Amino acid sequence: MSFKYYGSRKSGSIGWLLQRITGIFLIFAMVGHYILMHYSPETGHSYDQSVMRFSNAYWKMFYLTFITLGLWHGLNGIWSILRDYKMKPWVAITLYGIIVVSGIAFWVLGVSTALSF
Amino acid sequence: MKPIKTKEGYFKLVASYKKESGGWAWIIHRISGIALTAYLYLHIYTLSTLTKGKEAFDAEMALFQKPLFKFLEWILFAFVLAHTLNGIRIVLVDFGKGAFYHKKAFAYLMVIGIIAFLVMGYFIFSHEIHQAFASKIIPLG
Repeated sequence: MSFKYYGSRKSGSIGWLLQRITGIFLIFAMVGHYILMHYSPETGHSYDQSVMRFSNAYWKMFYLTFITLGLWHGLNGIWSILRDYKMKPWVAITLYGIIVVSGIAFWVLGVSTALSF
Repeated sequence: MKPIKTKEGYFKLVASYKKESGGWAWIIHRISGIALTAYLYLHIYTLSTLTKGKEAFDAEMALFQKPLFKFLEWILFAFVLAHTLNGIRIVLVDFGKGAFYHKKAFAYLMVIGIIAFLVMGYFIFSHEIHQAFASKIIPLG
């Protein structure tokens, strides 16, 4: 990725499309997540119920997808906000690096939490 | 080529633009998006105590049941609603025929959002609401 012309070298059209596809997934996932967490406090906030969900293979698959697509959607969104500004190449590289490194770090933290049960 | 520096600051420049519903939607979408990504990091970090056992997790959940955190959770829901509902509008505009009715869609979706926000307020604070009404009855009896 060239950072000298980061605004023009890549059109970002794949990111644009994936941003919408992940967004549509997140709409449905978020509705389910909110019903689960807030319809009754016990289902969402108790240790036993959470561990039970993370022990189930289907729930685990759902949460891994949720974490991955949620993080990607959020960080791609922040990068596309930053792309609107005229940044010097070293600023663009630094900010892009922070996004990628912190994104991977928190993805590993979230995935290792989900997989530890 | 050096960028031309304007005398007005960036925020002053954006504020000077004439904004219709789409412009406000754009601003709301960006602010809520940044806030939600920051919250997602926080959410992954706080839930990682799940691996430290029941006591640590229950202590943390007890903290999040405090009224201040419940209120913050309610505000968070406002950000989620704004971003989700406006996201639906964006998908309709980009993939459907939303360009013909995007202003109307924004108005209707925001009304739905305000109603959902108030309903969620009842669910989050149902315990406090019931207690408030109960405490008014108990002194009489």
